[in-house]
Amino acid sequence: MWWVTDATVAAEAGGSDETGSEPQSAVVVPVEPSPTLRATVSHVVEAAVDGEFSAIHFVEIASWRDGDPGSDDRTAEARRVLERVVAWAEADLDDADGDAGDGVTVVSALIGAEGYLFGPEDYVEVLAGYAEEHGADAVVLDPEYTPVGNTTLLQPLEFALSNTSLDVRTAPVGRPTRPERLRSEATGVRFAAMFGLSLAFYFVLGDPLYWFDWATGVATAAIVSITLSRISFDADPAVPRTPLRLVRGAIYVPVLLYEILVANLVVARVILDPRLPIDPTMNRVRVIVGSGLPLMTLANSITLTPGTLTVRARDSDLYVHSLLPWAREGLFDGSLERWTRFVYYGRSAARPPTPRERDDYAILQGPDATEELPIAAGDGGAVPDGRDDDATDVAEEEVTDA
Amino acid sequence: MDSLGTVGTLRVGLIVAFTLLGLFFSFVSMTGVLRLPDVYSRAHTASQADTLGAGFGLAAVALAVGWEGAGFKSVLLLFFIFVTNPTAAHAIARAAFEEGIVPWTEGDDRR
Repeated sequence: MWWVTDATVAAEAGGSDETGSEPQSAVVVPVEPSPTLRATVSHVVEAAVDGEFSAIHFVEIASWRDGDPGSDDRTAEARRVLERVVAWAEADLDDADGDAGDGVTVVSALIGAEGYLFGPEDYVEVLAGYAEEHGADAVVLDPEYTPVGNTTLLQPLEFALSNTSLDVRTAPVGRPTRPERLRSEATGVRFAAMFGLSLAFYFVLGDPLYWFDWATGVATAAIVSITLSRISFDADPAVPRTPLRLVRGAIYVPVLLYEILVANLVVARVILDPRLPIDPTMNRVRVIVGSGLPLMTLANSITLTPGTLTVRARDSDLYVHSLLPWAREGLFDGSLERWTRFVYYGRSAARPPTPRERDDYAILQGPDATEELPIAAGDGGAVPDGRDDDATDVAEEEVTDA
Repeated sequence: MDSLGTVGTLRVGLIVAFTLLGLFFSFVSMTGVLRLPDVYSRAHTASQADTLGAGFGLAAVALAVGWEGAGFKSVLLLFFIFVTNPTAAHAIARAAFEEGIVPWTEGDDRR
């Protein structure tokens, strides 16, 4: 099982009898520190007191994986959030009129820490599995719940949830009127980091000894950090982690440059020598790096290296186009994946089995293909470029196999 | 030449070498765009011009202007190219993929 129900914080509010067992329905509420979390908890408790639910499961879905460096801190942090949420819920139940809240059970759990979760589909899978296990048939979402960081390119969680049998709704709550305790300090760190970074960059271009540049620089950095600090950071920069990542990143840069140079020379040779054939194929590699920044680093490193080009990232699957068998083999040997893991998780995490050893790869085209190309059909046969004279007269019967 | 000294000569030599290397990789990239069969393989080689073509070019600029304002900025430029180049190549390839363009493979009649 990939979830852990934390029995120690499970609590039966009001303590006693089984009279409230009539509705017998449970609701799952995914939580995360958000400005509207408190109001969402109140809303759910209210609904439960009204007899809609007999059990409330607050779950925190782990966006990390157990065993990664730093996961213990994040687990502890998640537990604190869950404890606070349970405390809120119990307080609300106590406030409820009479003994209406007596039959309501409040449970909290931390789930999904067994593996990396990438897109909304992964979250929904974990959530639905938990709901099934605990007989819950409804999900209430915090309107500010953003499990996948600020990744706006992914389908919203709500949409993915609508494909399940769960009854989904969003808590009708607005922004809180009082300042939010859980996130304020976090946002402060991000704001400060963004501000410092922007100002430093401004002074690289400007003159730090000239007062006017200070005025414009501070104004610019303030605008940048107000608008972008919540977008640029998924997690707070933390003292041991962020500098370590920067140092390891600085080690990685020369390695990457060397790889780029070698790959460039190989590809240049093939391009300049008409006798050397190219053998392009599309490939799929399932990578084991976290979503967000690590995945972006890996995908961009793959693209920077000539001969491999990241075409799609679908959750943890990268669809990579390779120009030469040499580049394809290098991809399956996963050295860039290891380096990315080194940069983000340290040396201890940098030696996973290669994609080839894990069998996490597939060639999607050509005689060695092991999987079909998941392409959106369309007019796959369109001639990419009509510049060549003989290109125009062959477009008739090809690519019916798409 | 003798007015430059050894270090100066070395520096000029490196500038010339970097410029030529940058030209070489830009030329390879151009040849690749003309020769390769489809949008995906062309995206591979088009990004070569950015990484090493512009890379060596900017390295030559940085050497030529020295360790001051403009030289520092050319290093920054290099950094931004290395961040934006793969993003752009990925965007083009992804757009092509979502349009349903099947990558060319050996034996494909398209050319």
